[in-house]
Formats: sequence, structure tokens, C-alpha cells
Amino acid sequence: MRLTDIMSHMALSVWAEIAMVIFQIVFVLVVARVLFAPRAMVERIASLPLEDDGDFSLFEEVE
Amino acid sequence: MGFEFKGSQSASQLESFSYDDAIVRKFFWATLIWGIVAFLVGVILAVQLAFPQANIIPQVAFGRLRPLHTNAAIFAFAGNAIFTAVYYSTQRLCKARMWSDTLSKLHFWGWQLIIVSAAITLPLGITQSKEYAELEWPIDIAIAVVWVGFFGTNFMMTLVKRRERHMYVALWFYIASLVAVTILHVFNNLWVPVGLVQFLQTGEFGSAETIMKSYPLYAGVQDAFMQWWYGHNAVAFFLTTPFLGLMYYFLPKAANRPVFSYKLSIIHFWSLVFIYIWAGPHHLHYTALPQWASTLGMVFSLMLWMPSWGGMINGLLTLRGAWHKVATDPVLKFFVVGITFYGMSTFEGPLLSVKTVNALSHYTDWTIAHVHSGTLGWNSFMTFGMLYWLAPRLFQTGKLHSEKLASLHFWTGTIGILLYVISIYTAGITQGLMWRAFDESGQLMYPEFIETVTRLIPFYWIRAVGGTLFLLSACLGGYNLVMTWKARPKKYEVPVHEAPALSKEYDDGPPAVSRLTSNAGIGHAGDRFLQGHWHRRWERLPVRFTVWVVIAVGVASLFEIIPTFLIRSNETTISTVLPYTPLEVAGRDIYIAEGCYNCHSQMIRPIYSETQRYGEYTKPGETVYDRPFQWGSRRIGPDLAREGVTNPNSAWHYQHFENPQVFTEGSIMPSYKHLLKGELDFGAIQPRIRALAMVGTPYGEAVKSAEPMARSQAKRIADDIRTQMPGVELPEDLENRKVIALIAYIQRLGTDIQATPEQIELRKSEGAGQ
Repeated sequence: MRLTDIMSHMALSVWAEIAMVIFQIVFVLVVARVLFAPRAMVERIASLPLEDDGDFSLFEEVE
Repeated sequence: MGFEFKGSQSASQLESFSYDDAIVRKFFWATLIWGIVAFLVGVILAVQLAFPQANIIPQVAFGRLRPLHTNAAIFAFAGNAIFTAVYYSTQRLCKARMWSDTLSKLHFWGWQLIIVSAAITLPLGITQSKEYAELEWPIDIAIAVVWVGFFGTNFMMTLVKRRERHMYVALWFYIASLVAVTILHVFNNLWVPVGLVQFLQTGEFGSAETIMKSYPLYAGVQDAFMQWWYGHNAVAFFLTTPFLGLMYYFLPKAANRPVFSYKLSIIHFWSLVFIYIWAGPHHLHYTALPQWASTLGMVFSLMLWMPSWGGMINGLLTLRGAWHKVATDPVLKFFVVGITFYGMSTFEGPLLSVKTVNALSHYTDWTIAHVHSGTLGWNSFMTFGMLYWLAPRLFQTGKLHSEKLASLHFWTGTIGILLYVISIYTAGITQGLMWRAFDESGQLMYPEFIETVTRLIPFYWIRAVGGTLFLLSACLGGYNLVMTWKARPKKYEVPVHEAPALSKEYDDGPPAVSRLTSNAGIGHAGDRFLQGHWHRRWERLPVRFTVWVVIAVGVASLFEIIPTFLIRSNETTISTVLPYTPLEVAGRDIYIAEGCYNCHSQMIRPIYSETQRYGEYTKPGETVYDRPFQWGSRRIGPDLAREGVTNPNSAWHYQHFENPQVFTEGSIMPSYKHLLKGELDFGAIQPRIRALAMVGTPYGEAVKSAEPMARSQAKRIADDIRTQMPGVELPEDLENRKVIALIAYIQRLGTDIQATPEQIELRKSEGAGQ
């Protein structure tokens, strides 16, 4: 029996259901990670774009 | 003074570095220039639809120009905007210069070369005909090299060599874009080049046309499925995720406050990456695609509402306490309206995926309005907001040339978008309702398709006005940015920053300890898991993080793709369905080159109004030899799936291609009289049949003698036309003209399931299979 035969006789709706279960597991994991993330760390990361330019006191003419 | 030493980073010696803003400036200008080109081509197309006499030159007629517009808007304008954002923000978020200046330059020039190649080949009719993946195989290879080899390597190595331990969420979105676009591009572009087959079998290279031509490994249902898995996710991972990265970086910068909820951005990211990839089949509702795949696509599309709106809300709430700035700051104006359009488009997308809504909207201009509210409203406005924010910084002028002009750009552009989308939404819904309207006696109320076309012309003109306003607004923006650039210093100053290198040894802190008091081992393990140390490790390990993104994208793709390719019922064979004859293959390739699929579908859905209008609905088994599939996505003209049944007259087609208005007053189809003059390259047919046989089309004698078979069929059709048009002066070598091959193909459409034994014998004698 080939894989094609097995697939052809499967109840196809189960694929959509498995997909939903996989998504829900992933979603729960992500939400859990978010809920338990340390507040200080999250605030520090969220501010990264605001601190990334540093200052412009050290200028060097290159071009 | 450099960057402050943070947290648990290594206390090693500070390293000095500077950012490569020269490459950002290059992508900045490319974005602006290609944007104006894309908008200009869009306006030309809008005029061509309202005024078909504007289709003057065959190479820039609507069918060939439309793919150029979409490719220019997506890959040239949005693509360069993405790279501008990535090169600027990645360096700063990583506190590191791009890993290789050489790769940055190769990426820039390689990408521009690809765009120029598209601008040359598409008007020449060199196309695969797959929407947003039209470019032929040599350019596909170039895209893979530039995207993965130059951009991907440079980007990932910059992450590896970064000096900031944590990867900010914008970088996650860039990683997802890089990974997903690579997978999509590779798997949707598996083909056999005709010229290569010819070279391997005969040692000859063939004509330039033959060298550039390819046929996909997939056919029919599978090809359609792969294409819309690609097509939908090109929107997801080229027009959405990188722009969300842009939003998460540049919006906090412009508002001068952190993103509203970083936690929400994490949920937004993983949900979007995981859900988006499933949604592609909603482009194929009620077609020959299996129902389970169609339903799966719809359900996941509906689920997309949640993360999409989570992202929109996160963006808009970032402006909390800064709304007063929106009234005066043009950058924030663009961002606010851009994010609002993101919310509207991502509300409308799932709505359109609902089967009953899709039954009305599909093939109509409603879809066109939807994509333009996304590309003009979301992508363009986010891009212009970014360009206005960057200009004073990149050109070190300290301010824009004119904030008033930027506001004028904003308002003109907004009015342009609204005129465009409102008129085309109205046109689309009008079109859909007219197609399905029945009178009291149960007959189609508008049986002549042309009635549903002429009704839309006023809306097409309003769209042209809206598009022109948007183009003018972009030109205003261009002028403002050029004037800002003119005020630049003679030499750009290059700030030097300092930050410690990341130590190879990193202390994750003490391992998670269970906070539970029970004795159940699984409970302790669960509590340790929920504390999230494992995810924090991923977030600072770019390679591992990328692997998990690949898994998220890959799992969803495989769940849909594997069954579609393995289930036999997807490829129901119909005994009377034969491969196309060699002449029909040549005609089909002309159909593709002219871009006929941009206006005509070949897919009659099992919906009463459609079967009444066009005939028997399309079966999956009818398209098993279609490489590439030609189901189409739009009906500017009528569906052609049964054209061979309803309109088999050779002379009618001959005269119709010369002047469509002769038979259909008010038709907006351009004249294709150049096909009446152009000579068919019969010598190019044989290698095409060999290539098709190589990918599995069961050709028999035609593998060796395709050319004489094609000539024989062409003579039969030419004689037919001469008989049907007595007294009309026709070319002596009529059988050698391109139009004959195209007529052969059109006459074949939809006829197989009702073919008589005599027809089958005739087709076999003319090369259709064993």
C-alpha cells in the first residue's frame, strides 16, 4: 500500500481539526510565555528603539 | 560616549563601530523612484480600462502592463522600502554595522537589476503567468541568489555579530519575512526550462524565447494550490510582516515612546506567523480545489482577525498621550492612517474569505479595491511616513524641507486613495450583483456580459482620477525629499558608537525553580515551563529562533500541501481529457504572453448564475494538463472555460482578435491585430512538447514530430477561416500566423468532457497525447 492510497482513504476533515489543535497549543504556549515574562525585562526591551541612536558626540568624517 | 552597558552583558572592552547609512540612502532613493514608476503604470492601466483606445502598443497593452504594475508596486516599491527599513533599524537594534558592506551593495544592485529585468521581460511577454510570480526562471534564480545569498546572509550574520543581547520584535518580523519568502519563492518556482531540455536532448540552445520559457512541475489543481499558497503569503510575508517590523521600530521613534504593549507584540508575532500560512486556499473557493482545503483556508483566515487587530491596536495605542502631535507631525499622520488602513484591510480580508461573501466578491473589482486599500493605504503610507522621518536624519539636515508640503502630500494622497477605493468597491459590488441577478422568469437579468462592463466605466474614470491624485501626491513627496537632500552637508558625518561585544558565555541566571508545593513531578515541570526561561533563550539566539519560525511556517504548509498532492481524488482522470496538441500549446503560450489571464478566468464555479451564463462547471480533471493553470482571478471580460463549446467559430475569433468592438459594442478589449501579422515560430514548438513530456504530459508521437502536426492543424484552421469568410482578402500564409495557434487553443477550451470519438481521434492525429 502506497502513501497515496492511505491519504486517499483518510477522513479529510481531521486535517483541519489537527491544524486547529496545533494552533491552540502554540497559542497557549505563547500566551503563557507572555504572561510570565518579567516586567522589567519587557520594559527594557520595549525601549530598545528609543535608545539605539546613542548620541552624536563622536563624529568622524569618513565620506 | 557610546551605548550604555546594560544588564548581564559582558563587561568586556567597549568596541567602536559606525552604521552604514550610505546603503540606507541608496534604498531610500530606489523606493521613491520605483514607487513613482509603479503609480504611473497604475494610472496608465486605469486609463486603459476606461478608454481601451489607449492600448496603442502591444508591448504595453493592459495584459502585459498589469503584471509590470503589480511587480513594480510589490517588489520594487515595497521591496526597496522594506530594505530601507531593515538596513536602518537592524544596525541600530543590533548595535552593529551590517556584517558585510560588499553584500549590502551586491544586494542593492542585484535587486535593482532584477527590477530592470522585470521591466524588460514582462512587456515582451516573457512570463510564467502566476500572479506576483510572473518572472521567468533565470530571474527567479537571480531573486533566490540576491534574497538568500546576499540579503539573507548579511542580515543573519549581523544578528549573529550583534552587540545587543535581546532581539527586538521588529527583528523577529524581519526574520519571518526572510524565511517565509525564501520557502514560498523556491517551492512556487519549480519548473523545467524549455531551452535546457532542448540543449540536453539536441545540443542546441534554441531561440531566446525558448531559452527563457519554462513549464512548472505542478499542473492544474496542484499548480493553483501552490500558486495561491504563494500568492496569499507573498502578501503576508512581503507586504505585512516586514511592514509590521517597520511599524514596531519607526512608530515608537516618531512618537518618542515605547510600543504600547511589548507583550501584545509577541502574541501578535507568533499568531500571525502561525496562522497566515494556512489561509491561501481562500483564493480558490468554489473552484476545483478540494472543499476541505477551501474550508481550512477560510477558518484560518477568520482567525487572522485576532492577531491583525491586536497589531493595529498596539500600533495606535502607542500614540497614547501623543495624539496632539498627530495634528502637526506629517510623519505621524502617515503612520496613523497607514495603521488604520492595515486594520481595515485585515478586517476585510477575512470577510472576503467567508465563502458566501467570496461567491459574490471573487473575480470582481471588489478584490482590486481591497488590495489597493492595503498597498496604497498601509504599505505606501507607512513607507512615506518612514521616508519623511528618515530624510532629515539620513541627509543630516535636522529638518524636512517643508512640513506643509508633506501635509499636502498626505491629504492629496488620502483623497486619491478614497476616490480610488470607494469607486472600485462600488464597481466590484455592482459587477458581482449584476452577474448573479435573475429576472422574474428565472433568466439572467444581464445575459450579455458587456452590460456588466459598460456599467462600470464611470467608476473606472473616477479610479483614474484617484490614482492620478495619488501619483501627484507621491511626486510632491519626491520634490520635498529631493529638496531636503539638497540641503545636506558637503560631507556626511559618520557617528562612532561604542558598545561591548556580547560575551560567548552568557549566564541565563539560575534555572527556573518550581513554585508549587505539591509532589507531582509533572506539576513542577509545568510550572518551570510556564516561567518562560526557554523562550527567553530563543529570543537571544537568532539561529534557533529562525529554526522555530521555519517550523511554524513549514508545519502549516505541509499540512495543506501534502494531502493536496497525495490524494487521488484531486486528480480525477477523465478519459476524454487529452493533452493539448502542439499547435494548441503554442497558442496557449501566446495566451499567457499576452496576459489574457489578467482579464479572463477559466474556472466556472458550481454556482447557478455561473452555469447559466457560461455552461457546465469546471471539473478538476479538466485541468490536469494545464501547466501553468489558467484559472485566473478576475473577470474584466467573461470566463473562457467553455469558450470552445459556446463559440467554436474560427472566423469569429479571427475577426474578434482584429477588432473586438465589431462584435461587441462597448467592449474594452484591446485589438490584437499584431497577432494577425506576426509569424508563429513553428521551430520552437518541438522543444516545448519535449519539456512538457519531461514533466509528465503523456505525449506520444508528438515528442518526435510536433512541428508537422502543428502545421497540419494550422492549415486546417486557416482553411476553415477561408471557407467561413468568402470574398474577404486574407493573407496567403494565414496558417503561419500567430493568431491561428491562439484560435486553436481557444477552440479547445472546455470541449474535452463532451468530446465525440471523432473529435478525440482528430486531436490524437494532431498530436494530443498517445
